[in-house]
Amino acid sequence: MNWLDWISAFVNDPAHRSGPDSIVHRVGEHLAFTGEALLWASLLAIPAGLLIGYTGRGAFAVTALAGTARALPTLGLVTLAVLLAKISDLTVLIPLVALAAPSLLVAAAEGVRGTDPQVRDAALGTGLTHRQVLFRVCLPAALPTLLAGLRTATVQVIATATVAAYVGLGGLGRYVIDGLATKNYPTTVGGALLVVLLAVGAQLLFAPLIRYSLPPGARAQRRSLTPKESL
Amino acid sequence: MIRFEGAAKRHPDGTVAVEGLDLEVPAGRTTVLVGPSGCGKTTILRMVNRMVTPTAGRVLLDGADVAGLDAAKLRRGIGYVIQQAGLFPQRRVLDNIATVPYLLGWDRKRARARAAEMLELVGLPPETGRRYPFQLSGGQQQRVGVARALAADPPVLLMDEPFSAVDPVVRAGLQEELLRLQAELHKTVLFVTHDIDEAVRLGDQVVVLRDHGHIAQRADPHTLLTSPADQDVTAFLGPGRGLRGLGLVPATGVELDGLGRADGWELALDAEGRPTGWTGPDGQLQGPAPVFVPARDSLHAALDAAVLSPSGLAVAVDAETGRAVGTVSRAGILGALAAGAAAAGTSTGTSAGTAKVPGGRQP
Amino acid sequence: MTDEPLVRWGWIGSHLAYLRDLTLDHAVIALVPVLIALVIAVPLGLLCTRFPRLYQPVALVFNVVYALPGVAVFVVLIPYTGLATRTTVMIPLTCYALAVLVPATVDGLRAVPEALRQSATAMGYGPWRRLAAVELPAAVSYVVAGLRVAAVSSISLAAVGALIGRGGLGYLFIDGFQRTFPTPIVAGIVLVAALALVTDLALVLALRLLAPWAAHERRATRRQRGATQ
Repeated sequence: MNWLDWISAFVNDPAHRSGPDSIVHRVGEHLAFTGEALLWASLLAIPAGLLIGYTGRGAFAVTALAGTARALPTLGLVTLAVLLAKISDLTVLIPLVALAAPSLLVAAAEGVRGTDPQVRDAALGTGLTHRQVLFRVCLPAALPTLLAGLRTATVQVIATATVAAYVGLGGLGRYVIDGLATKNYPTTVGGALLVVLLAVGAQLLFAPLIRYSLPPGARAQRRSLTPKESL
Repeated sequence: MIRFEGAAKRHPDGTVAVEGLDLEVPAGRTTVLVGPSGCGKTTILRMVNRMVTPTAGRVLLDGADVAGLDAAKLRRGIGYVIQQAGLFPQRRVLDNIATVPYLLGWDRKRARARAAEMLELVGLPPETGRRYPFQLSGGQQQRVGVARALAADPPVLLMDEPFSAVDPVVRAGLQEELLRLQAELHKTVLFVTHDIDEAVRLGDQVVVLRDHGHIAQRADPHTLLTSPADQDVTAFLGPGRGLRGLGLVPATGVELDGLGRADGWELALDAEGRPTGWTGPDGQLQGPAPVFVPARDSLHAALDAAVLSPSGLAVAVDAETGRAVGTVSRAGILGALAAGAAAAGTSTGTSAGTAKVPGGRQP
Repeated sequence: MTDEPLVRWGWIGSHLAYLRDLTLDHAVIALVPVLIALVIAVPLGLLCTRFPRLYQPVALVFNVVYALPGVAVFVVLIPYTGLATRTTVMIPLTCYALAVLVPATVDGLRAVPEALRQSATAMGYGPWRRLAAVELPAAVSYVVAGLRVAAVSSISLAAVGALIGRGGLGYLFIDGFQRTFPTPIVAGIVLVAALALVTDLALVLALRLLAPWAAHERRATRRQRGATQ
């Protein structure tokens, strides 16, 4: 059996055409989980990150938190969450939010902290309030970093939502896990490929967003990476 | 000797950095290129070690076109000091200084011994050698930069605004150090700066540049200050040319009077004959007495001492012993100017060179 | 399930050797790929710096690679490298580490101050020699920062390998879940996090010892940023 056969077997399976196990339905589920997790994570992490970045307080805590979050195995968190509470969308959502939030928190804080201090001082000196400086000066400057963080979080959540199928969540992970359990490779590979497509799609979606969030000067700078004369 | 023959640099986008420069940089002397930013002075400097390749004309080093020399070998024979020092962060100071000796294949021991010598030469204590660059102050880093450039004893030294990034006090110290080194080593120095005072202070020859590397005037510092070529150069020199020119005239020609009294003021001396202050008509001692060293200082320093003195007299002291050897009035100093100016005007460089050692006021 | 305690210390006490073996297996699966990636990433980063036009496509490839979900890649590799083999888990982990380390190396090399590059050139370094002897050491703090992220991520990602039968400590999650027995899961989470923490500390310490200037550099950058407040 080769790849093409697997894929055609996967796509042509009547169960994958309509009903709860259909491709359209599974993709929809996957996107819904991802979106929901990202929304909650953004609401929690971005305001906190902006504040931390602007005040410069708790920067160490942010670094430590991000490091710890990266070190925690999601499969462990998901299984533990389901064992401790009952399986429900909320139970699985918590590890996903916990996974996405640190990326966003760090991105927001770093983005604001990376604002040119002279620009910030000048803005304060011209009479802008701290709130105005944060939203009119720092936030636009932080936007590229913030979007890059959102991209990382999105990709992470898409990948991890797949793992969450192991404990009974819907979405594309169902194909992968069920296929593995029943030694049905076409299903597993088909599901895996769909997850890859989704992740790459998300990645590509963010590329132009990030580029257009850069100030015009920085955009031009990025393009002209010509070697210097002395090189 | 370095010679530019119609050397030009046109960038691929059509902008012109240098439009064709003819210039001689005499061996063993300091030539300063000075001009506003964008006048092409750095580009000119970099043509010498081929960091910039001229698009027309050529640059000769001791008669050989640098374009025909191996770039790496050429550069190992030319010292280069830049504004940010550019020390290698991962190497200790001693190994930083030994960079070119290592590149030239010296063995470790010899290179390090040489580096230690250089460290001493630029006035840094030996224990600095074991430090990392980040542990040094800006001025110290710059000294290490100079030491590194000199380590392989290159006959030519290129300096691109080397002292622009440090504060004025440190800068003055570094300039003094460079004058002392140059008096000892006689390198062919090509120095770039945008600071006209620095140019006048350090240069045997000063080249004032306009846009695109056009030479507005090339002269010794005294001539430059006293007879600027045109309005632009005058404007660039700024106000106070005359007084600044005094800094270039040695105080050796000043005629000294005795250590007597003046208008009721009397010079107080200690047991060794060193001046301690002036005693006024009211019997109050005002000290210390402003002094200058005729053999070392300029007329500027002498006049400064006279202006600051309550009696109106500057006290001349011996450089070694600090003993008072005579006094001179403000009028006496200005009287010496006519003779001094004539002398400095006829001979270029070396005679003024002694006066360029700055007027170190006694503490 | 409510009567089952979160941790049964008795189980842990009787399975110490087992936990140790799983931890070692996990360390190998997770960290060998990072080492392989480092060996590939440094020359690749140098190449991308020397020939900047190369970096755009390389960066794109690794951006996409980074977006690939672990489980999915494991599954796709099974037909070639086999179910439950180390190779199946280690290949994707190597790719993830590369996706972190190549940009880190390139960013580090690009962040080398222009003054440093120029003085090296002016002293007679050729382009390659300068890259290796001057710029790479100056970029080491970036590389180590990348290494820390790569190592920690690799350790936590390796656990997912348990879904295809080879995940070191990840096996504890499957085991615990199937038996509705939280103790192994908790032990697994703690051990994975501890392994990550120890590795991270070891890297920080190594940087302090081997490259004191770089350790300072990072601190200085942070201080500089902090001081803007």
